[in-house]
Amino acid sequence: MTDRAVITQEGTAGLIDRIPCGFVSFADDGRVGAVNATLLEMLGLERENVVGNHIEKILTVGSRIFYQTHLFPLLRMHGHAEEIFIMLRAADGHDEAALLNAVRRQKGEDWLTHCIFMRVRERKKFEEALLRAKKEAEAAREKLDTHRKELEAANAQLEQQALELELSQQQLNEHAIELEALNQALNERSTQLETQRTIAQDANHAKSAFLASMSHELRTPLNAIGGYVQLIEMGIHGPVTPGQADALAKVARSQRHLLRLINEVLNLAKIEAGSVNYDSRPIVLRDVVNAVFPMIEPQVRDRGLTSEIDVSPQLVALADRDKTEQILLNLLSNAVKFTNAGGCIRIAAGDGGGSPGRVWLQVEDTGVGIPPDKLESVFDPFVQVDVSAARRAEGTGLGLAISRDLALGMKGQLSVKSIQQHGSTFRLTLPAA
Amino acid sequence: MSASQHAEEQVTARNNVRVSGSGTQPMLFAHGFGCDQNMWRYVAPAFEADHKVILFDYVGSGKSDLESYDGERYSSLEGYAEDVLDICHALDLRHVIFVGHSVSGMIGVLAANREPDLFDRLVLIGPSARYVNDLPDYQGGFEQADLEGLLQMMDSNYIGWANFLAPVIMKNEARPELAEELEASFCSTDPIIARRFAEATFFADNRADAANVTVPSLIVQCADDSIAPQSVGEHLRETMKGSTYRLLDVTGHCPQLSHPAQTIEAIREYLSTASSPKMA
Repeated sequence: MTDRAVITQEGTAGLIDRIPCGFVSFADDGRVGAVNATLLEMLGLERENVVGNHIEKILTVGSRIFYQTHLFPLLRMHGHAEEIFIMLRAADGHDEAALLNAVRRQKGEDWLTHCIFMRVRERKKFEEALLRAKKEAEAAREKLDTHRKELEAANAQLEQQALELELSQQQLNEHAIELEALNQALNERSTQLETQRTIAQDANHAKSAFLASMSHELRTPLNAIGGYVQLIEMGIHGPVTPGQADALAKVARSQRHLLRLINEVLNLAKIEAGSVNYDSRPIVLRDVVNAVFPMIEPQVRDRGLTSEIDVSPQLVALADRDKTEQILLNLLSNAVKFTNAGGCIRIAAGDGGGSPGRVWLQVEDTGVGIPPDKLESVFDPFVQVDVSAARRAEGTGLGLAISRDLALGMKGQLSVKSIQQHGSTFRLTLPAA
Repeated sequence: MSASQHAEEQVTARNNVRVSGSGTQPMLFAHGFGCDQNMWRYVAPAFEADHKVILFDYVGSGKSDLESYDGERYSSLEGYAEDVLDICHALDLRHVIFVGHSVSGMIGVLAANREPDLFDRLVLIGPSARYVNDLPDYQGGFEQADLEGLLQMMDSNYIGWANFLAPVIMKNEARPELAEELEASFCSTDPIIARRFAEATFFADNRADAANVTVPSLIVQCADDSIAPQSVGEHLRETMKGSTYRLLDVTGHCPQLSHPAQTIEAIREYLSTASSPKMA
């Protein structure tokens, strides 16, 4: 590019019109001063359509913006521009792609911009193809980027999950260790308990064996005492004075009490030692009552009590008859013992109710009753609740303990309900036949 | 280094901020779509005697830090308005006179609407609230297809004339005062950034934002401007309450380049008038 010669429309019209490029010259305000024939032909315009008009007239709208925002500032600041792609607007409305080279030069007071346009139809096609390819490549790259980001996100998520898994695995391991420790502690405790249970069982067996043998050892001299007292009472060793007879009677009564006590201790010991046999078979409860009640009836009468029996002959239990009678007798003697004159003893029986396959037999009294806090312990050996010295003398305190052990031995139960000062009810539950 | 100094250095580097002038009241010159702060080369020095003159390049333009470019932030003019506010905060500017060319007119409007207390006045040169016609009531000057033609041509240019983008080291006999560094940067832009800026600019509709402006403003309208025709300037004059309208009898869209003296005079005259109170 040279500006050695100032090109003017007048002086060079012939030459400029013949060059194979479009040429136009315009002032800073955009007014066109000169245009060559090649450009006019390219755009199908007459010279008077262009000269004197604004350069924007031969540009597309997009090119006008580009001219104002890029090209004009560039020319104003740099004074030249090379190979700028620009779209020209032809008279018939079609667009011509062109490359533009321009210089801005001062001529007198004015500044002129001289432009050469080279038509680039073919090149534009290539460029468009290139552009398309570039755009497709960019789109593909964006897609790849998106995929890559998705993969990265998925990977990050997986890593996070792996980390969480590892953490939970660690927690599980810790829990497992804790559980293992707990288990070990439980096992140790279990072993300890087992040992203690064995020790306790052994001790109980030893106790029962001791009691059994001691009872036997005690019974022999007691029987001797009883026998010799009878011999003395009978006067075999000489006459007995009334005072002596009275003393002997007391000795005999004490001997009998002691013997009964020892017998019961022996019984309890046998039961607890597991050496009692149960002969379970169907028994009619009414028969049991009929067999036992006469034994207690004189005492009922003597104490001024009334009695009631409400036992259906239909009720049959699967139990050991002797043991059942022993339990009933014990319950009745207790009832008589703890019920004051004017009271009532009632024997009742029934079946099922809350527990199918069971029958029950119970003894109700209107006696002194048992305080609530003592209800649990009445079945313990040697326990008597709130009784006078006179009454204590009449019992061994073992009756209920024996009765309950016998009930349990027959797969039954012995339970109690009581209201203080209103009476107690002892119920024996047995398997139905 | 204090936090504020750090912020100032960061923004200064990011937006290639240049401060000059011996005055105190800041004048912030914002370039339009296409070039960079050099657009103000013939105008800004005239205000250095009485003002603190601040020039800058939007991120993506001129010598800004391209690493800071965020496609999402700069996909709308709001992102560019954030650049303006960032600079005001980082340099602790108050009572700012904002001078915006072309699309920066609306960028200034957005910034002034976000933080009206920062700005004393807006000077909008060749502004347009909307470039695309919205007929029958609004004449923006362009049809959608015209603007798509612009985008296509920009694409073609970026493939066809690398020279335009590449640093041009050349002696300029006509304007020897222009330094080489200017040659190297002026109008050179990353094509993807330029295209996104063009879309953000030409497909924006800021008519509602312009109607909400409370900062007093001057609209400088060129008589024959193919990008911002008079109908657009008149629309803004009617929309922006308390605005002053100044018609320059010049052709083109860049009076600060083509007619710097008239541009300076128009701004000076406006600044010499008593500041009208902000609109409620």
